[in-house]
Amino acid sequence: MNTFQFFNENFGCFLVKQTNVPHMDASEALSKNHPLQKGGQNRIVSGWAIIRPTGAVMQQKLAVDGITYDDRNRYEAFGDELANWDGSPRIFLEFDKKPIPIANVFMTVDLRSVRICSPKGTATFDYTRALDQTSHPFHKSIERVKKKHAA
Amino acid sequence: MEKLEITATMKGPVIIGGGYMTLDAILGAILFDQLGSPEEAHDAIPIERQAGLFKASAAMLEPTSNQNVAFVANLRAAHSLNPDLLKKNKAGGVHAKVGLTRRRSFGAVLNNYTSFDVPEITWYAKGDGGAISDLLSDLTFIGKRRGSGFGEVKSWSVEPGSLDGVVGHFGEPLRPVPEQMFDGDQSSLKVDAAWRPPYWHPENRAICFAPDLVR
Repeated sequence: MNTFQFFNENFGCFLVKQTNVPHMDASEALSKNHPLQKGGQNRIVSGWAIIRPTGAVMQQKLAVDGITYDDRNRYEAFGDELANWDGSPRIFLEFDKKPIPIANVFMTVDLRSVRICSPKGTATFDYTRALDQTSHPFHKSIERVKKKHAA
Repeated sequence: MEKLEITATMKGPVIIGGGYMTLDAILGAILFDQLGSPEEAHDAIPIERQAGLFKASAAMLEPTSNQNVAFVANLRAAHSLNPDLLKKNKAGGVHAKVGLTRRRSFGAVLNNYTSFDVPEITWYAKGDGGAISDLLSDLTFIGKRRGSGFGEVKSWSVEPGSLDGVVGHFGEPLRPVPEQMFDGDQSSLKVDAAWRPPYWHPENRAICFAPDLVR
C-alpha cells in the first residue's frame, strides 16, 4: 500500500474531499483549515497524530468526526504506541506552525526504523536499540518520559 | 545482460543526503541530462528491470569517518525572484513583498548534511556493462553538494559480479524492494521508501525491504 493511500484511508478522508491523487489529498489535509471544537477554523498547528490501519488519534481537538482525540503529550503517546506495537503500519506526525510537507511523511513498519514526521524533517531511530550517546534525541525523550511514569 | 560490480574510487568525501543513491538513479540522471525527458531517460537505463524494479543496488559504502557540514543559502530576493512567478492575492498583488530590507520570508536558510569519508563506493547490478561504463566514464561528481566539491570520483570500474543488484549473498536486500516482490530474508529491515524512479515522486513509495541507510 502506498503511504498516502494509507494516510487518506485512515485520516485524510475525515479532513478533505478525496480525489484520485492521494498525495495531493494528503498535502491538502495537512495544510488546509479545519473546524475546531473551540470554534473557528485553523490549520493543524500543534500537537501530534498517530495514524493506524483502524483510524487516527490526535491531540489537537478538531470538530471533525471519525478521529479520536487524546490529551497525552507526544512522547507519552508515541512511546505507548511503540511499546504496544502490533506490527501493522503507523504514521507518527508531529505538528508545528508550518504544515508538514508530504515529502516528510513516511509510514513506520519496523521498530528498527521508526520515523517521526514533522515540518522540519523526519527523525529516524531504532527503537529496539538500547540508548547510548549516539541515540536520537526523540528516542531519548520517549525513554525519559517512560522512566518518569514508571517511577 | 550480465551481473556486474561497479566501483567508484573517491577523491574526497561524499554527501548522500539520506537516500539510497541506487545505480539506476545515477544513470537515469545522466540520461535525463542527455535526453531531457524523464520517461525517455528511465526507458534508456541499461539495466534489467522486473515489473518496474531495476536490478541495481543502493550505494554500498563503509565510511572511515563522517562530519557534519552546514551551508547557508541566501536568496537575493530583489533580483533573484520574478514577481510574475509568485502566487497572487485577490487584489492581483503578491502575498508578500520582497526586497533587500524585508527578509522575513526570504532570508538565509541553513542546510545541514553529513559527509562521509570513503575510499570507494560499490554497486551491484544486472545490465549492459559496456553501456553502463560509457555513461559513467564522464561522471566526475556524485551525491549532493557536488558544486561545493563533495563526491568527486577519481575513477570508475565496471567488472563482472556475482549479485543481481536486488538480493545479497545472505538474502539481504541490496536496494528498496516492495515487500510482495522480495524473495530474500523476510526478517530484513522494512521501511517506507521509493522503489522506482523518479525516487522523489510520492506515488513511487511503498512498504519495502531495504538495506539500512548509512547515517
